[in-house]
Amino acid sequence: MNTKNKKLVKDYWGYIFIAPFIIIFIIFALYPIANTFFLSFTNANIIHGMPGNIIGFNNFISLFNDPMFIRALQNTWLLWLGNFIPQMILALVLAAMFSSTTFKLKGTGFFKAIYYLPNLLMPVTVAALFQHYLTLHGPINSFLVGTTGLMSEPRNFLQFATDTRFTVMFIQTWMWFGQTAIVLVSGMTSISPSYYESAMVDGASQTRMFFKITLPLLKPVLLFVLVTSLVGGMQMFDIPLLLSDGPLGPPDMSVLTMNMFMRARMNHPANAIGSAAAVSVILFFISSFVALILFRVFRTDEQKQQKKQRRVETNG
Amino acid sequence: MDSYRIKQFSYKFICYTFLIILFLICVLPIYMLLINATRTTEAINAGFSLIPGTNIINNWNIIQGFGINIPLGLRNSLIIAISTTFLSVYFSLLTAYAINIYDFKFKKAFYGFILAMTLVPMNLYLIGFFQYMHHLGMLNSLTPMILPSIAAPGTVFFFKQYLDSALVPELIQAARIDGATEFEIFNKIVLPISKPGAFTMAIFAFVGSWNAFMGPLFIIGGNINLHTLPLIMQRLQGDAFRTDFGAIYLGMAISLIPIIIVYSIFSKYIVSGITLGSVKE
Repeated sequence: MNTKNKKLVKDYWGYIFIAPFIIIFIIFALYPIANTFFLSFTNANIIHGMPGNIIGFNNFISLFNDPMFIRALQNTWLLWLGNFIPQMILALVLAAMFSSTTFKLKGTGFFKAIYYLPNLLMPVTVAALFQHYLTLHGPINSFLVGTTGLMSEPRNFLQFATDTRFTVMFIQTWMWFGQTAIVLVSGMTSISPSYYESAMVDGASQTRMFFKITLPLLKPVLLFVLVTSLVGGMQMFDIPLLLSDGPLGPPDMSVLTMNMFMRARMNHPANAIGSAAAVSVILFFISSFVALILFRVFRTDEQKQQKKQRRVETNG
Repeated sequence: MDSYRIKQFSYKFICYTFLIILFLICVLPIYMLLINATRTTEAINAGFSLIPGTNIINNWNIIQGFGINIPLGLRNSLIIAISTTFLSVYFSLLTAYAINIYDFKFKKAFYGFILAMTLVPMNLYLIGFFQYMHHLGMLNSLTPMILPSIAAPGTVFFFKQYLDSALVPELIQAARIDGATEFEIFNKIVLPISKPGAFTMAIFAFVGSWNAFMGPLFIIGGNINLHTLPLIMQRLQGDAFRTDFGAIYLGMAISLIPIIIVYSIFSKYIVSGITLGSVKE
């Protein structure tokens, strides 16, 4: 009784301890977010006095009529899918290898550590580095032309739209496959071995078990990877900007992403911070909307699967 | 049985070949960068090499002539990374502890709100934040780079889960009976108990701040004296007329080496920390 009273008395400390978080959050996050929404409905301009006038949905309408914005929207999706799909395949293969109990591989801890390393490196430097590697006199040309003779003459890779896009996808995959593989391994090792044991009794093959047991039970983890990668991918900025060495993602705006476009709207000569705010609002709604769909799709599927499993278990 | 062994052997052979190829793809670009940082520009243009050169001091002197102050960038990066790491870890733990141990009104709603905020892209607040700081005349100063880290929803979420399993409420009760104040309990009991988790979070916060580019570009991009390493790397990269590749590679190497050192010491901590904040099933 006494301790309970004491606990109740102390509970106002809860408010005191969360106060710094709340105050800072309101000032430095909540208000700025509200401000972004507000600015997206104005023609605020960096040079001609900030606040501007409210112009309704005009920013959004003119963005969707701007071929450059549509281009940025398409590019962002293309670049994200082009790195997410290979990254996921690679990570699944690696995770299957690492967590395989029949063939115990050695040194998995070491390989995991090495594959994760690119994820910690400064993206700005990584992009600049690959840009240098791909120049006419860079090591990739000297390897393909001089050392191996695979190509007859050097190619200025980053002058070509397809090559530049491919390079962005490659760098993103390079930086993220290790992280994804590690998350998938931890998901796989938490699956109860009893599923595999009973499947093995039934004579199921390794591949069949992977597709029928591992993948379905991995769905919550796959959802997590998918959503975080999507939210991050929609904000892609450092790598395409530094690799293409131009604010509009040259050549031919092939790697112009939404965030790069947003920055271009804000900077000279447009200086249109209202329009830039509208870009981030659109970006937010796109990623939230798609994330919500993913949550729905995965959740119902998972429940269906569980029902099915239960039925199989009771019948068999 | 024999065919089974052959099968197993060939399976393992394929696996290791695959793993080693991926290993080379991960390591070679970084290794070549470190090597090139020690070579002359002429040697770099002549072709790639896997053996270090002897030109590192000369390359450093060339960078000095660029008018790009790398030591200043290192200092700025360190000031910002260390203060944001300290603030985000300390206050996130404090917030998570409050949710964990006290009962107060709107606690559930508050925690739900924090969870929702972890999914909001930082991009959504950047423009509003920029305009607001511009309005207050606080752009190009350290305050808006450091202070917001007190409110880090993702870190609070991690610590909440961490404290759920690491903290024994009886311990807090015992300390209260001994007459410790609530603030003392947090600093002298909860902080030490949470050290391993706090350390993991600190590494991730440090790396995040060290590598951050878009935020600093908007907030302190206009003040060269505050530029962090990523902004300096962009300037190093931006001047296309520069052909002193040895020096440029050295500059890039300097931006990566601190993280590579930290990682080679704490890689076990870091790799096991990756999954902590993700999915708990």
